[in-house]
Amino acid sequence: MRLLSGTLLCVLLQISGSIIMGASAQNKLPGSSYSVESISMPEGLSAEVGAIEFLPDGTLVTCFLRGEVMLYYPKTKKWKLFAEGLQEPLGILPLSHSEFIVMQRPELTRIKDLDGDGKADLYETVTDEFGISGNYHEFNYGPVKDKNGNLFIGLNSASSGGGILKEVRGVLDSTTMKQKGQMFSPVPYRGWIMKLTPQGKLIPYASGFRSPNGLGFDLKGNLFATDNQGDWVGTSTLFHVQEGNFYGHPSALVWKKSWKGENPLTFPVEKLDSMRTKASVLFPHGIMANSPTQPVSDATKGKFGPFAGQMFIGEMNSARIVRVMLEEVAGVIQGACIPFIDGNGLRKGNNRLAFAPDGSLWVGQAEHGWAGSKGIQRIVFNGKLPAEIYSMSLTKTGFKLKFTQPLDITSASDPANYKFRHYYYNYHKKYGSDQVDVQVVPVTAVKLSTDRKEVIVTLNTLKPGYVYELLLGDIKTSQGVPLGNKLVCYTVNVLAE
Amino acid sequence: MKAINLLLFLFLFHLQLRANQPNDSVTTVSIKAIAGMQFDVVRFNVKPGAKVKLIFSNADDMSHNLLITKPGARMEVVDAALKLGEKGIALSYIPQLPSVLWSIPVISPGESMTITFTVPEKPGIYPFVCTYPGHGFIMYGAMYVTEEAMPPLKDDQNIPPNRRMEMDKGSTAGHSAHLMQSHPYKDVPPYLYRTFIQDSGPAAIAVRLPQRLSYFWDAGECRLRYATSGEFLDMKELWAGHRQAVARNLGQIFYRDKTEYPLRTGSPGNIPEVQFKGYKLINRYPEFHYLINGIDVYELIKEKTDGSGLLRTFRIPKANQSVWFVFSPDDGIDYAFSGGKLSDGKLELSPAGARQFTISMTKNGGAL
Repeated sequence: MRLLSGTLLCVLLQISGSIIMGASAQNKLPGSSYSVESISMPEGLSAEVGAIEFLPDGTLVTCFLRGEVMLYYPKTKKWKLFAEGLQEPLGILPLSHSEFIVMQRPELTRIKDLDGDGKADLYETVTDEFGISGNYHEFNYGPVKDKNGNLFIGLNSASSGGGILKEVRGVLDSTTMKQKGQMFSPVPYRGWIMKLTPQGKLIPYASGFRSPNGLGFDLKGNLFATDNQGDWVGTSTLFHVQEGNFYGHPSALVWKKSWKGENPLTFPVEKLDSMRTKASVLFPHGIMANSPTQPVSDATKGKFGPFAGQMFIGEMNSARIVRVMLEEVAGVIQGACIPFIDGNGLRKGNNRLAFAPDGSLWVGQAEHGWAGSKGIQRIVFNGKLPAEIYSMSLTKTGFKLKFTQPLDITSASDPANYKFRHYYYNYHKKYGSDQVDVQVVPVTAVKLSTDRKEVIVTLNTLKPGYVYELLLGDIKTSQGVPLGNKLVCYTVNVLAE
Repeated sequence: MKAINLLLFLFLFHLQLRANQPNDSVTTVSIKAIAGMQFDVVRFNVKPGAKVKLIFSNADDMSHNLLITKPGARMEVVDAALKLGEKGIALSYIPQLPSVLWSIPVISPGESMTITFTVPEKPGIYPFVCTYPGHGFIMYGAMYVTEEAMPPLKDDQNIPPNRRMEMDKGSTAGHSAHLMQSHPYKDVPPYLYRTFIQDSGPAAIAVRLPQRLSYFWDAGECRLRYATSGEFLDMKELWAGHRQAVARNLGQIFYRDKTEYPLRTGSPGNIPEVQFKGYKLINRYPEFHYLINGIDVYELIKEKTDGSGLLRTFRIPKANQSVWFVFSPDDGIDYAFSGGKLSDGKLELSPAGARQFTISMTKNGGAL
């Protein structure tokens, strides 16, 4: 019974309305370096959050799935309606207090208050150069902006759980349709991430996405996208998105320029496998995340605690935020994931994340017919240093673990407190994959640094293409505080040189 | 309403038939997992001791299982399945508990599986549920083992709350949508929704006007598609998410554009290339902006103050050649024009006349 059961139990208690138990779970958490506050929402609003972002002065900009754009002023706790009537807006880029770029179903749209009455009156098409079939799963994500002013948007594939409308926008290609259980790409660039240049040209950028509900950059400016477990996605992923690459879901390939009419869904799996770029981080299903959402990088320089520069990712399916620790190994970005907030008053359905200028992390929730919830919460660092794994990096012979605090020598030096196993996930058309070749990996040596904040773990074997899952035993800090999270998973794509 | 009642009657009658089958025959029940984390059949009844053939198929885009539990044991089983943690995958999230009576393991989208079992002699309400993590809270239903009729759907505490209203669909949907507050503000016409709607391309704009009038404008094709009077839209299905749906038009269609495209430039036979540029709200009325063959067109549609139809104002400020407005005689409308020359069923406007012109569209009650 690892961490997840606790999380899910908490979810269960919240669902069944047992508020008392939920509260006790919150108090039980040792240290409480972070607290979770709920934001009160305006009356009459179905608070399913499609987007949250901040203006530099701390004004929160939000989109809700029934089409509202609202502003929230944390100081006065007042809400204001800015725009309405949009279709499933799932992303917003604030340009000023009176101008935003919103990703909605039909278009990327500039909304602007022209007459100064505080409400948008201009709804201007930024781009609609992509197809819509009317399939319910064709969500659009982004926009996120790079240093050069390019915008990136993600176009979800269509779901075999639904059809298409009689009339579509864009060229209809039925090649990938009606294949049992397979997401499909009936109109241009479904399953792609697109780049919109400052000159307004929309360019197909990378392909092979199933449901990339979350785009974001690391602090170096690398673009990342999450994808959700399903057909061709053995377990949920975080991809480092690079121009021209293919990320695994075949249907999108019908729109590749050099593609010659074949059905990519029946293409030999080995060929597809050799074409694809693997995930930087795999989120083991049922263990780490079942439906990861938006990645955001901690640029708060410590205001949000010790994890500055790292990435936080929402999880729809449980009351969890996941933390991701990335590194570059032999020119490839890969890394580890670990639960960050688990329960502690957090709801599930964590769809959108944004850091406020004060360094708190805001989370917007949605459900939309999946497991989830509604509303907005705010995670605040209380100033008390948590007892956590700070980072996990690959060495030639195993892993180096850094901790946020000095460790207790006895427990930290005991190899029995480091339990490794490895496994991988199949790449296939079937929905999800079991863990394959699950094996315990013996730890041959453990070495604690002199400052007691670093542990070098040597493993018997180290193979690329595997998730290395580490379950820490009862390791305490030198002050006797147990670690908050003990399960961490590192995706080894390449070995250290 | 009548049709619904008839359906309901047939449905109950059908179930009654099933329950009346002798014990040695097999009652076949088909249940599908469908989009929106739900079973298509939310409850059914069988006679005590009946032999049941249960066909479970997964028509959703996610994996699901199906467990039948002892009466009242649903949450206990859901809880136990969650506690399986990472071991759950291998066990298909089926906890080994005496309260799990029958189970179908996790099946992928598109798959189906059948089991046959004999229900207990003891009457009772036996829950069925998907215990895939996160699903069991909302994805369940009830098997009634009984000689009696099931309780009214709306009062049935053994099925998910959102499924208790089903039979009312179509009859009061518009009414309830009307009563329910949908937004943190009051919908005061004019207002609009970007939405999916029948008889339009997927980039539709549904506009509610005063005088209980509405129109549906296709931003993909840059044209008015049809107009209605009466109620506006039922957004419930669409807003529920995770299922194939369109906004349901609750109004009476009084106009439908039957032309290939209503505006022409250069020559009346020339179907232009179009591009949607957006809209601007003027006193909350959208004025659409689009290009036809690269020329800017602005279109503002309002209600006629007496509610008898629409007033459609076009602005083509940079028109440098003649513009034609084309319509068909059987589109439900009597036309009047602010200018231009009517010939051969087409309105021709000079470049100067095309800078701004208004078309009055009065409904004539023609069948559509």
